[in-house]
Amino acid sequence: MIPLLSYLLPVAYFASVWAYAKAFFRDSLLASRLKTPLLVATVLLHFIYLSLRTVALDHPPITSIPEIMSVISLSIAVGYLVIEFWTKVKNTGYFILILAFFFQLAASLLIQDISEVNPILRSNMLGIHVSAALLGYTAITISAVYGFLYLMLYHNIKSNRFGVIYARLPNLEILERMSSIAIVLGFALLGLAIVIGIVLLPRAFADFSYYDPKLVGTVCIWALYGAGLLAKRSFGWQGRKIMILSIVGFGVSLFSLSIVNVFLSKFHNFY
Amino acid sequence: MDLLVIGINHRTAPLEVREKLWLSAEEVRSALPQLRQQWFSECFVVSTCNRTEIYGIPASVNGGSPSLDSVGQFLIDLKAAGATVKLQHLYRLAAEDAIRHLFRVAAGVDSMVVGDVQILGQVREGFALGLEQKTVGIFLNRLLQSTNRVGKRVRSETRIGEGAVSVSYAAVELASKIFEDLTQRSALLIGAGETGELAARHLQGKNIGGLFIANRTRAKAEEVAAALGAHAVDFDSIREKIQEVDIVVSCIGGSGYVLTRDEITDAMKKRLNRPLLVLDLGVPRNVDPSANKIGNVFLHDLDALAGIVRQNIEQRETEVPKAIAIVDEELGKFHAWYSSLEVHPTITDLHRHFEEIRQDEVQKHQNRFSSANDRELLDLVTRRIVNKILHAPTTELRNGSNESDEMKRKRIHIVRTLFGLRKDDPDS
Repeated sequence: MIPLLSYLLPVAYFASVWAYAKAFFRDSLLASRLKTPLLVATVLLHFIYLSLRTVALDHPPITSIPEIMSVISLSIAVGYLVIEFWTKVKNTGYFILILAFFFQLAASLLIQDISEVNPILRSNMLGIHVSAALLGYTAITISAVYGFLYLMLYHNIKSNRFGVIYARLPNLEILERMSSIAIVLGFALLGLAIVIGIVLLPRAFADFSYYDPKLVGTVCIWALYGAGLLAKRSFGWQGRKIMILSIVGFGVSLFSLSIVNVFLSKFHNFY
Repeated sequence: MDLLVIGINHRTAPLEVREKLWLSAEEVRSALPQLRQQWFSECFVVSTCNRTEIYGIPASVNGGSPSLDSVGQFLIDLKAAGATVKLQHLYRLAAEDAIRHLFRVAAGVDSMVVGDVQILGQVREGFALGLEQKTVGIFLNRLLQSTNRVGKRVRSETRIGEGAVSVSYAAVELASKIFEDLTQRSALLIGAGETGELAARHLQGKNIGGLFIANRTRAKAEEVAAALGAHAVDFDSIREKIQEVDIVVSCIGGSGYVLTRDEITDAMKKRLNRPLLVLDLGVPRNVDPSANKIGNVFLHDLDALAGIVRQNIEQRETEVPKAIAIVDEELGKFHAWYSSLEVHPTITDLHRHFEEIRQDEVQKHQNRFSSANDRELLDLVTRRIVNKILHAPTTELRNGSNESDEMKRKRIHIVRTLFGLRKDDPDS
């Protein structure tokens, strides 16, 4: 059952992405009707898959990079669904869900069933720490996508290009609002992950270091977003500047997650 | 169905000709009884700036179908337009072609601007006048229901009515692409001319939060402001005003820019870089075009807005095949309803309907009858009751052979409605 779901999930995500793309670019009525139910079904399938894995392997699905990727994929899809239901804006799914599809595709191709895991990974506090960090990064990713869409629409309007992007995307203020909400959520969740990391984890790890590159990277990202939020509040930053900040923040996050995780991290690497 | 349409529209006559046949509501009221008396058993008129059409079901008492010459000449004489309008400007469509035409009109496919959203309302208004004058009956009533459905489906299932097709509305559409809620925004109209006023009216249609009008002649600004329920401001204060408003619509004569890049840059600093939409509808242009390079300033001139209109029209035209498919589908449904008004299918449906009721009741209660003989008797008795009940209506339906087609179908329609025989009815 678990291997079958593992193969099925990328297909299900692909179907959802296809429906959202067809609805956006081709204006297909059928795809418009199918897209949200397809995504809801995919998310349910994904939830069942991760639950079955947790029960069968007796550990939460955060013990390997492919598992983390699968969790990120699910959080992106759920995050998008929440935004869709909240804002009633249903035509930006393609740009977000394509990320969920690639994360899950990589996860399904690389995932292995590990029964013996580092005992540290069974710690509840670490579970909260990792979950908060993952959700925080997901929020940042979503914020960057909306930031990117904002800039696309901004430049389309500025340069009198009134094509598909102009016709189908919601207005600039809605895109900015969606991105800003995601930034606030990302900032709060990363803050929680950092607090747990700094206050509680030194007790659990003998080789804990405040100079750990991943910790430093995450704090830098958090500070960058914090500075942006402060500038928005105090100096009236809005629109293009804040959207550029969300994309820069995402770029730094990607750097932190990939380069630092693979090459530089010491204690902060369990896989 | 012998529907007939005789009329004139933008395809068959230029504006100076078709305007001569435009009928006011009062003129339609006086024409309808005459049309009914001379040619039609049911009729109504649709008259807009692009078409005047008489829809009617020929009264069979006169024998034959009314000709283009007779009804067309009536229309021309009614408006005393013989000097300008010739019979060649008019057209006549009958039966399925006429129904398809009405559906296409309602779908906005036949409009001068494809996807015209007003036409369905205008068809309804024409029909309402027919109702008021008691010149519409069962058939046109049903036809209007189908026409309504075509109009609504085309608007909800296609994008044929989407996108602004006038420069002034494109300006408002552009504002809606930048700002989420126009009720929280304010606009400044520079110049009190017709074009700017039209854009201002569209903004008011979107419930713009505040509207200010500046004009070189203060009195003119006050006059337009009073008409629009806006506030007049001094022309010299526009540089200060752009610090607070979100949308500027400029359409004022004269050479030289009324707003320079430096003035807008300065205003942007004071408004903390909040987005500013500047719509320059003036010729020559009123605002320095290089101001578009300032961050969060969206400056668009007439050409840009015309580009939006052009694209929207192209987009609407790509939706026409979808609209026509809906027209054809609804035409099929209407035919199904109309065909159901035949004598034999109705008698069959009537008998089937009663037989179903009889069998249902017999099945429910047959357990109360213990012996097979009793159950057989029950079956026989109920069958006889049903046959006796149906004898009179069946004979009555069959005996209508000397009636006109229309009367026969009216009678069948009543029977089908009374007994709920609406299987082929698109509304059921």
